[in-house]
Amino acid sequence: MFEKNRTLIVIGTVIGIGFVILPFFMEGYWIRVITSIFMYGIITAALNIIAGYAGYAAFGNVVFFGMGAYTTALLMLRLGLVWWTGVLVGGIVGATYAVLLGSAILRLKGPYFAIATLGINRATEQIVINWGSFTGGGKGITLPLPQMEVKDFYGLIYYVMLGLLALTVLANLLVIKSRLGYALRAIRDNEDAAETSGIFAPRSKIMAWCLSAFFTSLAGGIFAYWFSFIEPATVFDISISVKAFVMMMLGGVGTVIGPVFGAFLIELISETIWGKFLTLHMLILGMIMVGVVILIPRGMVEIFKKKLTLAALWNRIKNQSV
Amino acid sequence: MEGRSVSKHFGALKALDGADFHLEKDEIVGLIGPNGAGKTTLINLVTGVHALTGGEILFKGKKISGMKPPAISRFGIARTFQIAKPFSDMTVRENVLIGSLFGKNGARRSTGIALREADRWIEYVHLQDHRNGSVDQINISLRKKMDLAKALAMEPDLLMLDEVMAGLNTKDIEEMMHLVTRINQEFKITVLVIEHVMKAVMSICHRVIVLHHGRKIADDTPQGIVNNDQVIDAYLGERYAKSRGKSR
Repeated sequence: MFEKNRTLIVIGTVIGIGFVILPFFMEGYWIRVITSIFMYGIITAALNIIAGYAGYAAFGNVVFFGMGAYTTALLMLRLGLVWWTGVLVGGIVGATYAVLLGSAILRLKGPYFAIATLGINRATEQIVINWGSFTGGGKGITLPLPQMEVKDFYGLIYYVMLGLLALTVLANLLVIKSRLGYALRAIRDNEDAAETSGIFAPRSKIMAWCLSAFFTSLAGGIFAYWFSFIEPATVFDISISVKAFVMMMLGGVGTVIGPVFGAFLIELISETIWGKFLTLHMLILGMIMVGVVILIPRGMVEIFKKKLTLAALWNRIKNQSV
Repeated sequence: MEGRSVSKHFGALKALDGADFHLEKDEIVGLIGPNGAGKTTLINLVTGVHALTGGEILFKGKKISGMKPPAISRFGIARTFQIAKPFSDMTVRENVLIGSLFGKNGARRSTGIALREADRWIEYVHLQDHRNGSVDQINISLRKKMDLAKALAMEPDLLMLDEVMAGLNTKDIEEMMHLVTRINQEFKITVLVIEHVMKAVMSICHRVIVLHHGRKIADDTPQGIVNNDQVIDAYLGERYAKSRGKSR
């Protein structure tokens, strides 16, 4: 067990250092692609805390991305705050929003919770659109431009996203090893039995969603500063959540590394190949989701853990009853 | 523990209809009765899973009816389930860990110490060979033992066992009977056993409560129960009474 962990830590560190020195060997386009991969890594790893560990399918988690983005934008524009202060406050606003919402809707189970989160995302988007005098409304809002060289700016965003990704993965690791992690897994497996075992389920679920929202909001804030223009249709776009679900399931639901791994795979393919087939994009994502559910319900991580061969996968296809 | 005119109605169905009961400290009490008599409902009321329609339940002198299930568990009440409800994505060890991590003294423990506690209980019920096995790989007898170890790891003052011997073979029943008696003597845990295996009820219980249609129809020593005509009519049956040499 310890040996295995040490190998993983060594591999993780090597990959981490690799990404730290990578910008010195790359041009602008690739920096942007990889920054975007990091961003999806954060969103997916954050989603994993509530959807993977606790089993609560927060399909509308993108609402926190939007909240973070708008808080950052408005604080910079209306109050003249520095970008990182805006991002931090955005994180806190998103986390608070999750606590308030969670107290109300985390008592819903299964699909009911998932649908409620979709509704909340939609409602929040509508508030932003209709409160035009403050938020800029449906046509979006432009942030103050950064006072630095474009190349330096993209470098900065790259490292900030990388740092936040590392923190989000670390948070996943700490959660799963902790009392909270065991409570969440027990809740996912059997909430009633968890409660009679002394676990305060509402408290644990709210805590999980709060953490998930915090990291998602931070990513949204950084995104707003990075793109310097945001509109409701972009930052509350449900396909961000859908994509995060596909990534999480492809990589490995409820594992520490899986979701990030899935994000890298999908976003890399998405940016390099599917960018050329805009309409086919969602179709292929859907097909991947179906394939994953049938073939490797526990994600790519399962292939490595159980050393599944192609023959074993083929057997799973054959054994599917229709 | 004490229950005062405890009622639970599900719509028109009176699962429990004004039952009084009490458990003394260190007792092993059997709870028997035909299917649908309200036995499991009673456990669900005590653990806070269902809200009472009427009456109240006290434990260690404090009113617990109305408290949330986790609060009641941490106050010292643990149960096992009729149909074992394991955390299926966890190993045997992690299942028991949930008990030691969130039970009566769990909040004061680190996960490391709680793991050692879990191991102690796993050995107590002789599950050490399956410690790292996954729950869906072990048979029903082992699963019941795991459920028991998890409940014990919560260090309860009152342990309620819901048909912990159902589905076990004769040898496993013997072992379980021995375990329950030992738990009661060694740790001074009060035990309430719901059981259809009469042999076990007769030999390990100090006292037996009989429920029928949501009402308590008898509360006596095991010997008194088998000679009670009302109990024979409602539950035990003529054949059982004859086999014990009672003629009517």
